[in-house]
Amino acid sequence: CKKDFLDRAPLSQITTDNFYKSSSDLRLATAALYAQPWNDWNGFPLLGIGDILSGNMLQPYNADLAQLTSFSITSDNGQISTSWRCFYKIVGHCNANIKAINAKLPDSVPVQSKNGALGELKFLRATAYFHLAQLWGAVPIIEDNDQLIKNPLLPRHLLSDVYKFIINDLRFAAASLPIRDQPGRVTTWSAQGMLAKVYLTRAGISGSRSQMDLDSAAFFAKNVINTSGLTLLPNYYNLFRTQFNDNPESLFAFQWAPGVGYGNGNAIQTQFAPSGAIVPPGGGWGGAIGPTFDLDSIYTPQDSIRRKATFMLTGDHYPELNASGGGYTATGCSVKKHIVGTATDNNSPTMDIWSSPQHNTVLRLADVYLVYVEALLGNNSSTANSEALRVFNMIRKRAGVDEVTNITTESLRNERRIELAFEGQYWFDLVRLSYYNPQGAVTLLGNQILKNTRVQFTYDPSTGVKTRSASDMVITAPTIATFTLPIPATEITADPKLLGAPVAYY
Amino acid sequence: MVLLHLNGHAQERQITGKIVTIDDDAPLPGATIQLKTKKTSASTNEQGLYTIRANTGDILVFKMIGFQQQEVMVGDASIINVSLRTEHTKLDEVVVIGYGNKSRGDLTGSISSVSGADIVKTQPTTIDQALQGKVPGVVVQQISGQPGGGVSVQIRGLSGFSNNPPLYVIDGVQILPSTGDKGTNPLSSINPSEVASIDILKDASATAIYGAQATNGVVIITTKRGVSGPPVISYDGYAGGQALPKYYDVMNLREYATFMNEKGGIIGYDLRPQFANPQYLGEGTNWQEALFRTALMQNHNLSLTGGDARTTYYLSGTYFAQDGIALGSDFKRISTRLNLDNKTTDWLKIGASLQLANVKENVTTSQTGVIRQALNQTPDVNIVNPDGTWGGNDPNVYGATGTNPFALASIVKDFKNRYELFGNAYGEIQFARGLSLRNEISGNFSTASEDQFDPIYTMGAYSKTSNSATYFSGKNSFYSLTNYLTYWHSFGNQFNLNAMVGHESKVWEYENVSATRTNFPSNNVQAINSGDATTATNAGAKGQTAGESYFGRLDLKYNNKYNLTLNVRNDGSSKFAPENRWVATYSGAFSWKLNQESFLKDIKAINDLKLRVGYGLQNNQNIRDYAYGSTLTTVATSLSGNAQLLAASGNPDVKWETTKSYNTGLDASILDRRIEFSVDAYYKKTDNLLLSLTLPLYSGMIDATGYAPGSIQSPYINIGSVSNRGFEFAITTHNVKSKNFNWRSNLTLSHNKNKILALNTDAAALYGYAGSTVITKSIVGRSIGEYYGYQTLGTYKNAADFAKYPAIPQKGGTALPVTNGSGGVWVGDVIFKDQNNDGIIDESDQVFLGTPNPKFQFGINNSFNYKNFDLNIFMSGNYGNKLFNQVRVDAENPNQNFGYFKNVLNYARIGLIDPAGSASDINNVYITNPETTITRISQSSGNGNQRFSDKYIEDGSFLRCKSITLGYNFSENFLAKIHLKSLRLYGQVTNVFTITKYKGYDPEIGSWNPLAAGVDNGYYAQPRVFTIGANISILNK
Repeated sequence: CKKDFLDRAPLSQITTDNFYKSSSDLRLATAALYAQPWNDWNGFPLLGIGDILSGNMLQPYNADLAQLTSFSITSDNGQISTSWRCFYKIVGHCNANIKAINAKLPDSVPVQSKNGALGELKFLRATAYFHLAQLWGAVPIIEDNDQLIKNPLLPRHLLSDVYKFIINDLRFAAASLPIRDQPGRVTTWSAQGMLAKVYLTRAGISGSRSQMDLDSAAFFAKNVINTSGLTLLPNYYNLFRTQFNDNPESLFAFQWAPGVGYGNGNAIQTQFAPSGAIVPPGGGWGGAIGPTFDLDSIYTPQDSIRRKATFMLTGDHYPELNASGGGYTATGCSVKKHIVGTATDNNSPTMDIWSSPQHNTVLRLADVYLVYVEALLGNNSSTANSEALRVFNMIRKRAGVDEVTNITTESLRNERRIELAFEGQYWFDLVRLSYYNPQGAVTLLGNQILKNTRVQFTYDPSTGVKTRSASDMVITAPTIATFTLPIPATEITADPKLLGAPVAYY
Repeated sequence: MVLLHLNGHAQERQITGKIVTIDDDAPLPGATIQLKTKKTSASTNEQGLYTIRANTGDILVFKMIGFQQQEVMVGDASIINVSLRTEHTKLDEVVVIGYGNKSRGDLTGSISSVSGADIVKTQPTTIDQALQGKVPGVVVQQISGQPGGGVSVQIRGLSGFSNNPPLYVIDGVQILPSTGDKGTNPLSSINPSEVASIDILKDASATAIYGAQATNGVVIITTKRGVSGPPVISYDGYAGGQALPKYYDVMNLREYATFMNEKGGIIGYDLRPQFANPQYLGEGTNWQEALFRTALMQNHNLSLTGGDARTTYYLSGTYFAQDGIALGSDFKRISTRLNLDNKTTDWLKIGASLQLANVKENVTTSQTGVIRQALNQTPDVNIVNPDGTWGGNDPNVYGATGTNPFALASIVKDFKNRYELFGNAYGEIQFARGLSLRNEISGNFSTASEDQFDPIYTMGAYSKTSNSATYFSGKNSFYSLTNYLTYWHSFGNQFNLNAMVGHESKVWEYENVSATRTNFPSNNVQAINSGDATTATNAGAKGQTAGESYFGRLDLKYNNKYNLTLNVRNDGSSKFAPENRWVATYSGAFSWKLNQESFLKDIKAINDLKLRVGYGLQNNQNIRDYAYGSTLTTVATSLSGNAQLLAASGNPDVKWETTKSYNTGLDASILDRRIEFSVDAYYKKTDNLLLSLTLPLYSGMIDATGYAPGSIQSPYINIGSVSNRGFEFAITTHNVKSKNFNWRSNLTLSHNKNKILALNTDAAALYGYAGSTVITKSIVGRSIGEYYGYQTLGTYKNAADFAKYPAIPQKGGTALPVTNGSGGVWVGDVIFKDQNNDGIIDESDQVFLGTPNPKFQFGINNSFNYKNFDLNIFMSGNYGNKLFNQVRVDAENPNQNFGYFKNVLNYARIGLIDPAGSASDINNVYITNPETTITRISQSSGNGNQRFSDKYIEDGSFLRCKSITLGYNFSENFLAKIHLKSLRLYGQVTNVFTITKYKGYDPEIGSWNPLAAGVDNGYYAQPRVFTIGANISILNK
């Protein structure tokens, strides 16, 4: 046979040997990390951990999710292991791309393109590690997955080192990413906004809040608010409609595509919508899921725009859901945010139960506004700082609620909780609090049990009466340990070193 | 056939006659005719005619090599015609050794054979089943009892951590066994009744000639070829019924209602009104009985063979149809075969083998997992409701949302259809005496489609509101071109030489495309184009691999005592980077016929005695295509439409896996060949084992067998070393040998011990999973895929047990409380053994719980002939393996919301020592039925009772009567009247009985994944089959 008889490159796949050749290759490589690899996290855990565990939402019968409500999460909980796997999958892909770009990219590709791609990858990697740090505390840091082939057993690394790693990545991203890009792509403002949030979170890890980190958080948040030229979307409700995907307020949102099949797309509305009539056929499994009495109780009657965009009360009418069928009138208290309707409603014929085209945000401008307020509030219990009040009231104005003249730790916490409810954020707010005020964080959760508010409720629109639902779920009292998720059991079996004390990375 | 008449006169005269074969009346030239008591002898001429002088009363002995000798007393006739019956001693059998043949007597390597006649005795549906228990050293286990379902075949143990199938060669066509493709078995398109012989090459000295891919042994299948003579038309057919031999004992409706009432009382939820008086309820639905049925199977094969001195032909057509015992499965095969050989000129021979097969399979059962669901569904659910709708769980009942397995099996479509063409054409040129060149072109082409439709349905609480269809179409091709030159020469009568050199090139290619749509206007309209076009999605793939080889063999034979075989082969594979692409394989073997030596020659009792020793080095390339490079896959995002995501990580340094093997064996035949046996001992060591690594989840990588969208397939690494040592023993005895009654026995016994010698990573462990649960751990010093989990010590029965076994599962580093409240441990929970005595039960208390690989495997065959009756009884078994009965994890858990096994009625009941005392005082409670193995009812136990433990590991040893066959051959006299050549009628029962302690349906559970073998999660059991059949042949003169 001829000498090349045995040269058989794949016929239906691109290989890394013929990829990473041009700026457009880099765009294809980075684009892949905005959607499908996040699926494991997006499916159930994002709302399960962010909102169910924190007491915003309740799912009574799914065993894994019920554990989140009852604070009895075991290391076998499937949601925990898929989340862990998801973030490390992102890390792995980012590492592989960063390594390949550094090693293989020809000099003909402009440095700007190269750094832009590296910036995106480091942003995404930092975001994954930020989630890991907030959920599990000390975790292994991996920069080169190929090393794992020889040395697969890693120890956990110090939480402070994990945050340092995240900040290094985000600083690089902030410096390398452009100020403007195709909608949906991260920019320097995404990186700076995320950096502000990371500094704000890290500020408390030593047990009290570091003023230096608070100042850094304020610095980057302020820069985004004042320099980016980005503004809040005027209508809060529209933030969660597909027609407004990637609006200027969105700093980082998953770029889900429709019609991609199981495991590849955004299935939130399938899992959480209360009825099959308002989602593509076959979905709508969220009839038993709803807001808790605890969450509902912090909304004022005036705060109806955000409430209605977040959850449905019995009798609420949503004309745009199943519009051709005359809209949807809620028959119970259910999830609304992320519920975007049928294929016709979204003019998205290929969307199916596994692939809503909603680009749910991981970071949006309003979050950065509130990060700024929290950084300015710092270690004080209240503030009347004019900068803080200005941005805080911008959020409230849009929501149609009265402006305030003073901000307290509690009013800020509730504002964040309402503004970002069902976006998976409240748990992170509580974790951040638990760093420097563990008792305060435990009490907040404990009160939900003591006051019997960690329950669902029914609403009678004719009388306006809300009645708490009886629950036979036994909820274990939270402790400071509640704020660190268990590492998946299979992971500990595979790597017993994870049981050991964290070690320094730097 | 013996014509003789007695006459008292003793007078020497001329006797003439003709000697022919009994099979086809062909004349036998060169046969000898001898007077028994005198020296006189004669031989037949070209026409088989002879002349000899003899007296009346003399005894003539007719002899011919390869035929049974016959004695005839001379009567008054002067013409004595004799038909000789062919004699097959094992040593005369021709064994296919790869690129050539050899007689068994001259073998140096370890090769076992199964003849077509043996295959017919057990009537397997696929040829790999035919090997079971017949060949020592070969472990054959059914992956699924689904008709046409896969079989895992291991030759001499596990030489790796992934699937290790042998190489199959059918009439020169190499078949790649596919794995994991929803249980489809590529060998199922071959009709076993067309098989003339199966030769299994086991040790490296035998397999090395096939080079790479042959590390795990070679199975060479030779189909029947034409025999010159008048045409013989044969019909082989059978029909029968199949049934599930064993059912799990599940709760009926009365028991279920009683149990649910008790459970509701303990947990404190509302009782279901319809369960108020369980005694008035009926049996309810037994889902196993609903799903399993008595199924029919039939096979009809018509063949025609014949030819003249130049051309022989074999033409055969088969129809085989088997319904599965579980609803939603069936298998149909229609195939036709033509084998042709032509001696074109004195120097040229040409021929071809062609098979065209069509296989249609319904795989809904496996695809929908209904067997497991039948074990989950509860007896209160109707199969069909009185109003004609499908039954399903009551939507008002908490937690129970099972499907209706009967309905799913009936309405979900998953239909596979494939056409397969195996072809081989050869030309053999005889350049000179002893020198020939053979050119072969072989191909294996298949097109396959799979048609799936998932309808809209409602089954009580479980419903599906949209329908969807997927249509898959794929094409696979393999072709190879082989040329080899053979030279043989005898130097006198002492020294024989046979040399062969050759070249081979081969290419595999595949391509496929699939399309999916949803929203079909009706469940009845299922063609893909009827779905909503705007929902259409599609996918496809294409790939290729190539290989090229140079090889040679030298066979030397001296004095019919010593045989030496040397093989060498150089293989190149496109799977490796250019610098690691080529690898050499070599082997050598030597045999010594001790019985030919002077010191044994005179011992009459020993007919044959041969010693064999062999050594070989082999290489394996069982990895994905392009494993040295990383590949990307296309994923959708709304940013760029299609983006590129890393799919598989490459390893540029990946190289061939190497196996060194040593073999020594002894073949003997004694006491007039009444006892023949063969024993082999071997040691195999595999280095640079290839494996797609299983790494912790934080690697972001998943091994090649796993599935997680967006994960990177971990690279193939040369990860370590594994050894297999074992012995094989086969004995054939002719226990009773008489005119009317014969009894023959065969026994095969094999033992293999597998050991991991090294793993080149500091993880030093590989894990196997069932779902997301770790069930096996493989470490250095132990065998591959041993179960790994918790050891249990029964259940806590009282406060004293808590004092005796103080270690309790932990959470967050502290022991759980002993409480009947939420998250606690209480009486009626499982006691786990504290292996490290640290007072706490955690991951470090997991231990090895046994191996799924049998220590011994055996097969026992007894065949009896009495006059025209034949009876064959075949048993096979495993000893010393463990199985994971995953079904019991749920079905014996009183706290889940699905169907239960009957023994759950005996859940651990908690009684109070002082009835007036507290139920939450550990000193006041005890288990009233302490003998039970079922845990307490509590939905908030923190103990993790169902975690992977030895509770669910069972002894998998079994002895199974695989088949009993009783046949009757009609006498020749009778047949002559009805113009038939032969007629045999038979009845057969397969899987007659199984002696085992295993609680599941079937202890014979094969697996393609050695790291998660022996897992029974609703296994599709092998049916018991009753068949009757006939073998008929007509001779046209």
